[in-house]
Amino acid sequence: MTGQEIVFALLGAVAVGSGIMVVTTRQLVHAALWLVLSFGALAGMYLVLTAEFVAWVQVLIYVGAIVVLLLFGIMLTRAPIGTAPDLDSGNRWIAAAVAVATAALLVTVVVMGFGDAKMPLEAGGGSAEALGSAVFRTWVLPFEVLSVLLLSALVGAIVLSRTDIGGARSRGKGD
Amino acid sequence: MTSHVSAALAPGGDIPAPHIEYGQIMPILLVLGVAVAGVLVEAFVGRTWRYTVQVPLAFLGLAGGFAWTIVLGLRDETHAVAAEGALGVDGPTLFLQGTILILALVSLLLIADRGTGSFAAQAAALPGSEAEQRTTAAGIIQTEVFPLLMFAVGGMLIFPASNDLLTMFVGLEVMSLPLYLLCGLARRRRLLSQEAAVKYFLLGSFSSAFFLYGIALLYGYAGSVKLGDIAAEAGRDAGSETLLLGGIALLALGLLFKLGAVPFHMWKPDVYQGAPTPITALMASCTLVSAFGAMLRVFFVAFENLTWEWRPAMWGVSIITMIAGAVIAITQTDIKRMLAYSSIAHAGFLLTGVIATSREGLSSTLFYLAAYGFTTVGAFAVVTTVRDAGGEAGHLSRWAGLGKRSPLIAGVFAFFLLAFAGIPLTSGFTGKFAVFKAAVEADATPLVVVGVISSAIAAFFYVRVIVVMFFSEPEADGPTVVVSPATAAAVVLGLAATVVLGVLPQPVLDLAGHAATQMFVR
Repeated sequence: MTGQEIVFALLGAVAVGSGIMVVTTRQLVHAALWLVLSFGALAGMYLVLTAEFVAWVQVLIYVGAIVVLLLFGIMLTRAPIGTAPDLDSGNRWIAAAVAVATAALLVTVVVMGFGDAKMPLEAGGGSAEALGSAVFRTWVLPFEVLSVLLLSALVGAIVLSRTDIGGARSRGKGD
Repeated sequence: MTSHVSAALAPGGDIPAPHIEYGQIMPILLVLGVAVAGVLVEAFVGRTWRYTVQVPLAFLGLAGGFAWTIVLGLRDETHAVAAEGALGVDGPTLFLQGTILILALVSLLLIADRGTGSFAAQAAALPGSEAEQRTTAAGIIQTEVFPLLMFAVGGMLIFPASNDLLTMFVGLEVMSLPLYLLCGLARRRRLLSQEAAVKYFLLGSFSSAFFLYGIALLYGYAGSVKLGDIAAEAGRDAGSETLLLGGIALLALGLLFKLGAVPFHMWKPDVYQGAPTPITALMASCTLVSAFGAMLRVFFVAFENLTWEWRPAMWGVSIITMIAGAVIAITQTDIKRMLAYSSIAHAGFLLTGVIATSREGLSSTLFYLAAYGFTTVGAFAVVTTVRDAGGEAGHLSRWAGLGKRSPLIAGVFAFFLLAFAGIPLTSGFTGKFAVFKAAVEADATPLVVVGVISSAIAAFFYVRVIVVMFFSEPEADGPTVVVSPATAAAVVLGLAATVVLGVLPQPVLDLAGHAATQMFVR
């Protein structure tokens, strides 16, 4: 076992462990913070695989933006901070069974599919340059269409949340 | 959209500018461009003028895209990949895109109809709240519907044209996201509409995740997401069978969900019922055409050498889709839910054309899609005209005696139902005959037997609606029929297409046959 493999396995254990903590902790804010650790470990795994650009994007977007957004969401909706016993749903054992079965299925498929196949790591395979030329050349059309998708999502968010016409505040749609 | 990227990178040198065939993908660019222009209209045009600007803009975009598609179809060199291999421009794609654009134009007639008022004045207002009453009374309309519609149509054009799975996924999302939103904007029965939107969103995200995982497995198998590369790798019979079969299954799951094939049909009745009826018309026609286009491309290009692997599963799906759609439709009492189950049964009939995997299968499926699309838009247009005090009269019992009250509209609806049932001299018969013939030629005769049996079951509930309309006494406080010019135009277009494709189908059959001669590009 090389050093790389050991680091990779350790980071994987951290990612899975903190992922389990996210769904088992009884404090909402703690769950968000455990998520930071899980995403960070994932970024470390990308780094080990020499995809440094992807790793930093992971840190910037998932750790930096999404988790902060989650924390803001918790803060602004005035959710109770501290232990919340009602975070556990009555369906949790069924959900756990489904999750374990799904994980087992996915792991089986990947193990059966790849088995002991080895891919040599090449430096620069996941660099900004390689990714940039892929995104802006081969994948330029889907990339640009994704910006259209974001625009339509923005317009939709405004449609569903803008209340300044009637003046009434409405929060938590559908309740 | 793409030009500024190439312009910004070209002088730098290291990355060569991508080559985009603007002429060949212009219908897509035009529709998405109009959508972006519509967003700008929302931002800069005053509220009183927005509707008057948005409607012609959307009409021009769709009509321009349709005209451009026809021009592309008339030239003979349309069998190429465009935009760095992301999109395939070929006969079937142009036929599908033209069908989607013309059906979207007819749906736009319904959506733009102010008289029926299908959309919420303010979607953000809580149902039943004071704000909702105030905005409704003020006559405000949510004109964001038009750019969202154009975004969705743009996605529908990309979805069947995409030559690799990544572009296909992006097209799927661009198509679906605006539709999730539009589903929640019904003016009446707001809670039902919001429930439909949330259901559609959650289940749609689930199926997208499956689709994405299927792409990942196929990438693991072939080392590429291009459909042609996957076909080449599968033809070489190398690599891991597990990844390939898992990938096919998950990809098919995502596609079958969009078609509403059993057992992935649960969303369809709820969403069709809850969504504003013009949007239901759009989903029942354009989304189905687009999803079938993508299905055909994936199974005819990427999995063409694997027919033995996926055919048995598709047989099963097709059989249970036809039977379940027809049988469950009998128990429905809501007209929109009934049409949703009818749409599920028709997805089953269409799948027999996919299973044929022949040139005839392709051309007959293309014809069926066009024929069914027009009929279904017309049928939902009729549904918008039969109105109670509280909006559309959805319950079947309210339609009792409509034939005596308004013989014309009841007669037209009866004709659409007969077309769904596949009675000769309607487009439904020609379409069904074509796909079943292709299936028989491809040795799928048992499938055709099941198809004919479930057509007979389906005819039962279509005829039942006709009996309710013509042979029962009208209620004293029955619904009134309100037909505004735009809706009338949509009904007439749907009716004309249903009659013409039933009586004189040969030109369109030839067109579909010509489109299918070279099959899909890769």
